[in-house]
Amino acid sequence: MATLWPLAVYLGATLAIVAGIVTLSYLLGERHEGKARGEPYESGILQTTSARLRVSAKFYLVAMFFVIFDVETAFVLAWAVSFRATGWAGYAAAMIFIGILLVALVYLWRAGALDWGTSPNRKRSCNETGKQNGST
Amino acid sequence: MAELLWLIPALPFAGFLALALLGSRMPRPLVATIGAGTVGLSALAAIAASLALAGSAGAEEGITRTLWTWISVGGFAPAVALRLDALSAVMTLVVTIVGFLILLYSTEFMAGDEGYSRFFCCMDLFVGAMLTLVLADDLLLLYLGWEGVGLSSYLLIGFWYKAEANVRAARKAFIVTRVGDTAFALGLALIATQLGTLRIQEVAERAPLFWGAGSGMAVAAAALMLGGALGKSAQLPLQTWLPDAMAGPTPVSALIHAATMVTAGVYLIARMHALFLLAPVVMGATAVIGAATLLMAGLSALTQSDLKRALAYSTISQVGYMFLALGVGAWSAAIFHFMTHAFFKSLLFLAAGAVSMRLRGEHDMFRMGGLRRALPGAFWAFVIGAASLSALPMVTAGFYSKEMILERVWSSPRGAGWLWAAGLIGALITALYAFRMVFLVFFGEKRQETEGRSGARVMFPLAALAALSIGGGFVPMSRGTWEAHALPLTLAASLASLLGIAGAWFLFHRRRGMTERLAGSPAGALLRRFWAGGWGFDQAYDALLVRPFVRLTRASREEFADPYSKGVARTAGALHHLLSRTVTGQLRWYAMAIAAGTILLIGMAVFL
Amino acid sequence: MTFRDLLPLLPLMLPALTAVAILLLLAFHRSHRLTAWLAAGGLAAALLLIPFACEGAPRRFGALLVVDGCALFYTGIIMAAALAVAAFSYGYLARRRGHVEEFYVLLLLATTGGAVLTASSHFATFFLGLEVLTVALYTLIAYERGAFGIEAGVKYLVLAAVSTAALLFGVALIYAELGTMEFSKIASLLDAGAPVSLLMPAGVALILVGVGFKLALTPFHLWAPDVYQGAPAPTAAFLSTVSKGAVFAAAMRYLVPLDLPSHRSLWLAVAALAVVSMLAGNLLALRQGNIRRVLAYSSIAHMGYLAAMLLTGSPLATAAAMFYLLAYFVTSLGAWGVIAALSEKEGDAERIEDYRGLAGRHPWLAGALTLMLLSLAGMPLTAGFISKFFLLTAGVEGRLWAPMAALLLGSAIGIFYYVRIIAMLFAPQEDAPPVRATHWAAGAAIGALVLLLIALGVYPAPVLAIIQSLIAASS
Repeated sequence: MATLWPLAVYLGATLAIVAGIVTLSYLLGERHEGKARGEPYESGILQTTSARLRVSAKFYLVAMFFVIFDVETAFVLAWAVSFRATGWAGYAAAMIFIGILLVALVYLWRAGALDWGTSPNRKRSCNETGKQNGST
Repeated sequence: MAELLWLIPALPFAGFLALALLGSRMPRPLVATIGAGTVGLSALAAIAASLALAGSAGAEEGITRTLWTWISVGGFAPAVALRLDALSAVMTLVVTIVGFLILLYSTEFMAGDEGYSRFFCCMDLFVGAMLTLVLADDLLLLYLGWEGVGLSSYLLIGFWYKAEANVRAARKAFIVTRVGDTAFALGLALIATQLGTLRIQEVAERAPLFWGAGSGMAVAAAALMLGGALGKSAQLPLQTWLPDAMAGPTPVSALIHAATMVTAGVYLIARMHALFLLAPVVMGATAVIGAATLLMAGLSALTQSDLKRALAYSTISQVGYMFLALGVGAWSAAIFHFMTHAFFKSLLFLAAGAVSMRLRGEHDMFRMGGLRRALPGAFWAFVIGAASLSALPMVTAGFYSKEMILERVWSSPRGAGWLWAAGLIGALITALYAFRMVFLVFFGEKRQETEGRSGARVMFPLAALAALSIGGGFVPMSRGTWEAHALPLTLAASLASLLGIAGAWFLFHRRRGMTERLAGSPAGALLRRFWAGGWGFDQAYDALLVRPFVRLTRASREEFADPYSKGVARTAGALHHLLSRTVTGQLRWYAMAIAAGTILLIGMAVFL
Repeated sequence: MTFRDLLPLLPLMLPALTAVAILLLLAFHRSHRLTAWLAAGGLAAALLLIPFACEGAPRRFGALLVVDGCALFYTGIIMAAALAVAAFSYGYLARRRGHVEEFYVLLLLATTGGAVLTASSHFATFFLGLEVLTVALYTLIAYERGAFGIEAGVKYLVLAAVSTAALLFGVALIYAELGTMEFSKIASLLDAGAPVSLLMPAGVALILVGVGFKLALTPFHLWAPDVYQGAPAPTAAFLSTVSKGAVFAAAMRYLVPLDLPSHRSLWLAVAALAVVSMLAGNLLALRQGNIRRVLAYSSIAHMGYLAAMLLTGSPLATAAAMFYLLAYFVTSLGAWGVIAALSEKEGDAERIEDYRGLAGRHPWLAGALTLMLLSLAGMPLTAGFISKFFLLTAGVEGRLWAPMAALLLGSAIGIFYYVRIIAMLFAPQEDAPPVRATHWAAGAAIGALVLLLIALGVYPAPVLAIIQSLIAASS
């Protein structure tokens, strides 16, 4: 227990400082109740439309695929560095990994998740699976 | 064969399950086949097992098969174990064979009923539970069967549940037997805690070691067991439910309320006789209760106008004989009488059912009469049953068993002259009321026309049971029952029976007018009403127990126990509301709770 | 590495392989029926392989995995539970619009995660299994994409991320303290009296946060009712059984060697979690009007009972916990199966009032639900009684007076709300909606669960013998 008192002091000091700053700014700070106060850009140009834009799900998809395949490339690179050390077992493991990646890629491709535009023959499945993949 | 012992109770249970699940969709012939067939197969299995037992070297010891141990805690391990020895073999054979015959009879008797599959379903459940009770080697399993037969009895008494009286009768039977069941359960608890086992063999071995003869514990345990037996077997003072139980269909009365279930108490005492031998007081009480019951119920039977109620009182009276025998330590005589009683009483019930079937459900004896020529089959069956019930000397099974009981009561060191005298008077009354029924129903002038005809499925069980009622007495019972009887005792018993029959002929056939005048006189009418109403027990219980209890519950509706129990409920409710407010549905609050919990946990782990 | 060497691992790998195969199939051909059959086949094959895998057990795979009897037992019940969930899903999903096949892929992945958890002997595999399970669950929860589904999915996502972060931090603290992430090494280092600072109990406490979140122990339980209500019924069944069972198995493997009774503060922390969960779960369910939320609260209480078994670590407690988990799986799956069978669309068969007179409309389902609820309440001759009885026996033997008192109190409270639902099932109802047939797969699964429920209640001896032999072989 004896070792704990610095921790307690530290905790107390932290809380005191945070509380002090908040209280001081509350007491000393200026307050305006003007009309512009509630706007997103208080001193900027007035907004014209809602800030809540609808962005096409494609953007998210591409971003997600990038992250997923990018991270997985990192794994492959790590394996390449230790290629000789891991030997055939490592090779087999990497092949399984890449195989599963390929299966996923084939699935996404066939599901139409990689199509940017809507080609006429895929239009239907695109609309459906596009939504589907938004949550997959 | 011994390995297949489990088949005997399992087959009726299988029938019960099949009918319970699919019975309502099955065609009737299939229902009948399953309902009666499973019991028939069970009877075959029972016969095979008994033959194997008789042929095996250890016939005295019996065969025990432990199927599995239910749970095992600290040496107390109630097991699902079956035991077949001479005692349970007799019971099993009677239950399955009589049960099969009665179910066969029912396939025709119940033909017009809309609850056809429900009937067979409950009957199969009963037979399975009864066999569990009989074959159980563990008192807990026996208790399971005990409750099972109670349940199916309840369901079957109230089988025609649309009439309120039937439901009331079912409820009465359930509640009154529950008094005994509670005593039995307490006895089980006592044995389990004191002896540390519920295996019947171990109880029998340990009881004399742990408890001395006549010790308080032994008396308490035996008395509690006796309490259970009194309830199930409808003996004084818990006999009031059985006459009302006749509200069920006749085959139910024959199987459950005459042949098998009501003798479960007899079986229990015979099974636990090692315990009862340690409690002479309880044995004495058993004998006195048996003697008193047999006299009172016999006199009640004498004054009934309803054929089935008369038979019900007769059952109470005959089970009283068994208790008398148990009370003097004549275990095998009691079981012997159980067997012959099962034969002739179910025969009487089925014959009565065959009569009422042809009279559009008539049960009143005074509205029957002269049916001898119209229903020769039922007539002869009923006469044979009545003769066996009255213990007609030499030719009937009932004579041998009743004679044996009387002889034992006289000669046993635990017996007494006055108990024997009570039994003898009872025998006279038995013959009197048995043939009163015969003369009222089948002789005299005809009051109603019969209709229809009885088929083979009704007549065959009657014939088979009639044969058993005659021949059942010649079946040599186990172990040295056939000792030389004292000739005077035999003569006295025979005389009582013959005198009773003659008296019945005189009073209810030859000089019926005189008897009716006698019964019509003010004193006679009073006595008659008193006896017919079952000695006022119902009224007394109603006044002494039921109404005060109802009043007490009504008065205590808002009394001292309530604030406590309501307080518990209110506290739980309040805590519920308090806690419910923490489930806000807001994600940030949930995350906050996790954070707080984390801090608390770390705090506990680090600082405590 | 030969096939024999791999055999113990095969039950863990088969669901994953099946998932990949189905994914490939879905790229070219969509068929709900074929997908469901494939998924069920993969799970059944994994289940059937378990007895063979037992012959090769126990076997270690590096420091990461240990496939022993207990792991295979838990894997077995997880596979069986996933199979039952797949059976419920077919009829449930067939009534839904949109693509339903991916549900099975996710189900298989989550199952793989659960199976890895049961065999993990290292924080790396522990975390990996947990994440595979959890990430698949996010989507499974939000699969219906109704308002409630999305809400449930987002809540689970955010809170699971929070708790996983806590867990990871705890792992890091322990690694910093002891320099290893292997469960057995941690235990042996502590046994050997390695000097530890306060980072060690803090780390364990943080891991308890992660575990407590998955098991929905109070105060980490608040997500459970909302998620159970919003998720598709088969997912909820999975969530309340496989997810919890797998995490509990892993917790058991980690915490039992740690010997909690010798760490008083940690022991108290776990005991507090258990007791509070038992009481809070039962009290919260008391007047709840939504059957899904009732089941959520009930599972909180049940996990509280189970967590008490972490406190002794005796072989008896381990056996009791394994049996309890098995009984809980059977019962919980059965109850959710009935709800799934009755859910025509989102929001159906939720309020207890919806179950009024069910016995008249669906006697079979009502009977099954009655049995399941009685078992949850702990009525004799059901699995619930025997399992609770063993729990009590083990608890009394381990002198856990306070947790056992809470268990009894909680069970007493519990009877009220279980019987309330049963009473509703048998209450008369005037205008009964039309009866719709249950899909045969769900019906068969519910039937099998009912049989198992009674078999475990009447004749538990063989299962107990198996559990005891597994524990004897593992220790």
